[in-house]
Amino acid sequence: MTGKSPFGRALGRREALALGGAAAAVAAIPAARADTKLTVWTGYPEIQPVYQAVAADFAKTHPSVSFDFFSTTLREFEQKLTAAVPTGTGPDVYDIGTNISVNFIDNSLLDPNPPNIDAYMKSGPYDKFTVDFFTTDGKTYGLPFLEGSRASMYWNKTYFKEAGIAAPPATFPELIEAAKKLVKFDSQGRMIRSGISLRLSGQGSGIGEKFRYILEAAGGSAIEKTPSGKWHNGYDNQAGRDALTFYVDAVQTWHIDDPKVPHDADAFATGATAMLFRESWVIGEIQSKNPNLDYGVVPIPAWKAGMPHKMMLQPEGVYVSGQSNNKALAWEFAKFLTNQQNGLRLTEVTGWLSPRQDIDWKPLLVKTPQFETFVKPPPDIVYYVEPVLPPWDEIESRLADRLTAAYVDPSLKGNPQAIAAAIHSMAQQTDQILKDAGLYGTA
Amino acid sequence: MSVSILDRPLPQRLPQGEGRRRITRHARLWLWCYAMLLPVMVIYAYVRIWPIARSFVLSFYNWRLIARVRPFVGLANYEHMLGDQNFHIAIWNTTVYSLGVVLISTVISLPLAVLLARRSRMSAVYQTIYFLPVITPLVPMSIAWKWIYDYNYGILNYLLSFVGIHPIAWLTDVHIALWALVIMGVWKVLGYNMVLFLVGIRNIPSTYLEAASLDGASELRKFWHVTLPLLRPILLYVLVTATINAYNVFTQVYVMTLGSQVAPGQVTRVLVYDIYQNAFEYFRMGYASAEAVTLTLIVLGFTLIQFRAFRERETA
Amino acid sequence: MRPGFNRRQLRRRASALLIHVILTLGAAFMLLPMVWMLATSFKLPGEIAVWPPHLLPRVPTLANYQGLFQAVPFPRFFGNSVFISVVSTISVVITSMIAGAVFAKYRFPGRTALFMLVLATAIVPFEGYMIPLYIELVRLHWINTYLGIILPTVIMSFGIFLIRQHVASAIPDELMEAARVDGASEWWTFRRVLVPLSGNAMAAVGIFAFIQAWAAFIWPLLVANTPQLFNLEVGLTAFQFRFSTDYGKLMAGSTLSTLPMLIVFLLLRRRIIENMALTGLKG
Repeated sequence: MTGKSPFGRALGRREALALGGAAAAVAAIPAARADTKLTVWTGYPEIQPVYQAVAADFAKTHPSVSFDFFSTTLREFEQKLTAAVPTGTGPDVYDIGTNISVNFIDNSLLDPNPPNIDAYMKSGPYDKFTVDFFTTDGKTYGLPFLEGSRASMYWNKTYFKEAGIAAPPATFPELIEAAKKLVKFDSQGRMIRSGISLRLSGQGSGIGEKFRYILEAAGGSAIEKTPSGKWHNGYDNQAGRDALTFYVDAVQTWHIDDPKVPHDADAFATGATAMLFRESWVIGEIQSKNPNLDYGVVPIPAWKAGMPHKMMLQPEGVYVSGQSNNKALAWEFAKFLTNQQNGLRLTEVTGWLSPRQDIDWKPLLVKTPQFETFVKPPPDIVYYVEPVLPPWDEIESRLADRLTAAYVDPSLKGNPQAIAAAIHSMAQQTDQILKDAGLYGTA
Repeated sequence: MSVSILDRPLPQRLPQGEGRRRITRHARLWLWCYAMLLPVMVIYAYVRIWPIARSFVLSFYNWRLIARVRPFVGLANYEHMLGDQNFHIAIWNTTVYSLGVVLISTVISLPLAVLLARRSRMSAVYQTIYFLPVITPLVPMSIAWKWIYDYNYGILNYLLSFVGIHPIAWLTDVHIALWALVIMGVWKVLGYNMVLFLVGIRNIPSTYLEAASLDGASELRKFWHVTLPLLRPILLYVLVTATINAYNVFTQVYVMTLGSQVAPGQVTRVLVYDIYQNAFEYFRMGYASAEAVTLTLIVLGFTLIQFRAFRERETA
Repeated sequence: MRPGFNRRQLRRRASALLIHVILTLGAAFMLLPMVWMLATSFKLPGEIAVWPPHLLPRVPTLANYQGLFQAVPFPRFFGNSVFISVVSTISVVITSMIAGAVFAKYRFPGRTALFMLVLATAIVPFEGYMIPLYIELVRLHWINTYLGIILPTVIMSFGIFLIRQHVASAIPDELMEAARVDGASEWWTFRRVLVPLSGNAMAAVGIFAFIQAWAAFIWPLLVANTPQLFNLEVGLTAFQFRFSTDYGKLMAGSTLSTLPMLIVFLLLRRRIIENMALTGLKG
């Protein structure tokens, strides 16, 4: 099934052949003429075709360059990268999240950006927030390659119309009311459609991340930085308690979600839920699995009227290895990869967002208007980013472990003291991890 | 006929020479053993023993994988393990999983092998079918099992509804999730055990079984008194390897508990997942090595117990 | 007396029928996930994600298989898997036979300790020691080479263990003594007595080694940097995206991946269950 809009899994035949042809063209560059070979690794198998197409274009102006690509699933990719880079067998160019790059920087496996790249980065393509994100100790590392979050709210227009709700909710109280009307049960009382698909269970830090959508909206944060550069937990407060109460009530009091129904992108695409907080790649899933779905995307609601809408940023960078023998050339490629044209191409083909702020998105929005919230968020939105520090993964994962048990714990229902105690205990664990890493501080 | 081959002294029949010639003969035998073993052991030492030894040594350091500095911390990693709740949960879960898979799969595969040991066309078909799960790739099969176990529309609950049983939350119920994984583990390994028992059964001289039949023994008695004792070495093999493999379970648990339809809490956390997480997500390689060492010691303990229990004994 | 149904025959037939019923139910249980994998490989993405799910495709399609060959160099990956697995299997069978037989039939100083060491190192999870092994490989400059990928697979402790168990139990000492008395060398005894009598155990080791080598994933992934060297398992990760999976193509690739192992099993099956007992063997 080839989708109407050619990206994601539904790569149209034409596009696939074009990218394949480009890749073949790259591979066909005669070895005799290749003076340099650049090795490029990525943790996104779905983006490799884009890399190959970009490389083919790059080769037009750099005929003596050939490329070797490698991509695999994230977990294995991180293992491979962390085995290869310290032993000198790594690639020239790679994309990776800050959880790993911060460790590489710490151990001098990545060099600060050369002055021309540094200047280019600060000259306008990226907003200050993003540039700061890639700055450690006053120096920039890597180029922003894709925006991994900007999670927003997907809403099913058909279900909303059915339930008589005119517009998607703009605040959490509105959301709760809407979800109550949108949830559906069968004749035996089992939930067959959730009002909203929350992340209630699963592995890894994903649960913590989704919890933060609500926590941040309520005014809290997972960890907070102090003026002196130390960190401590940011949720042992009313916001944290409110956020946990929201989840507990959603499952146990209002019954708008349940661990037993299908969740996530598949559930939204096939109509098993009416609302979902997720990133832009879901658009591609919907295209390939249910292109006739009538849906919209709006920012995640504000906690209550008068409070701002908040949006998570998770930029991911492309880096040139500190041990590369072709650094100058590699940086040229990285710069080319992240230019306006290829940024647009990245989003069009894979649904992953380019973090540049100077791209003309009209061609994309004409085909798929649902991208609007992602590529042009409303100006009054308040952003928050992933904290960049070595134990971050562990903090989020361990929090997630505790949250999943809490969501379905009946002793927390309608029991503010128990919720406060649970939050406090989780916060202590977070602080302990920070203390173990020598990063804890309250001033 | 004596079965304690390993415990017998060298056969008396060897020409008894003078003291010195006897020693030379033994020495020549030993030399031959070492010579044969040498190439194999050299490879083994290089690709297994050496890296494992290095890993073992690293468990006494604070090795953060990519850090240049590796301070020696003695037993600090092991001390931390004593208080690490995730690790304790992982040990408990993995042990329960292991016992479940090993016992259930052995108890089922042994009679199965006896049944299918006859030469017939049907038994060839059955042998192949029961062996198929062993050769299927783990990731797609885990995905398939997720679908089978689905609460609302999985085929297992669908079939159970015909016998009037209410839907069971296979993967999302705290009490059942681990056992659902055990069932999948048994499914995967049943055919492997079956093949091994077939090898063992095939080596039982038919004369023994014929003699027992002539004595009027029933199938069950033949199995219990003739077949089973002679299968001890293979049974030991099956138990030991099944235990080792079960303790090392990882991929299928990871895939089946990925995503959003999972039992809350940590009821499906297994040891190798903990090791992987500490090594490659938290970059605590030294600590992960300590966990791996502990896992090895636990399983080694089980292995030694099994060797003791199934030690070949002298028969009359 | 007229031959006809008597109680005993009836009971025997009933129990035979019962056994067949149980075996068939069991077989269905064994096959179910594979049927799902096969069915999914013929489904379009919309049908795979649909909820409530159904087993068989309503609109079967070959698009996944076609797409599979377009998206990745499938024959190359397949060929690599075959090459690596065959080399590994041959090596494992040989080394297991040698080491297993020596451990089983000969007493020499250090035997128990050495054997226990072999077994103990089989227990350690690969994740626990693969980084030091990788570092060794870097030193040898064998990263991104077939040699590097195959190196850890040339030996299999379980193979040594299995041969040892088999030889210890199925081959009586008398045979070897007889040969020695006749003046045969140890090598001759090994070659002409032990090896032929271990045919079925060697076949079992063969199939297990092949399966293990074929399914190898994390090590080939660590070592191979260029697609030319990928085996099938590594190659199929192309369909596992960051937050979703192209199930259709993944199942198509996995179905095709199962076939060689099935073939090897069918080839070796008769050998495995062959009766290696000694009746009829000349002394």
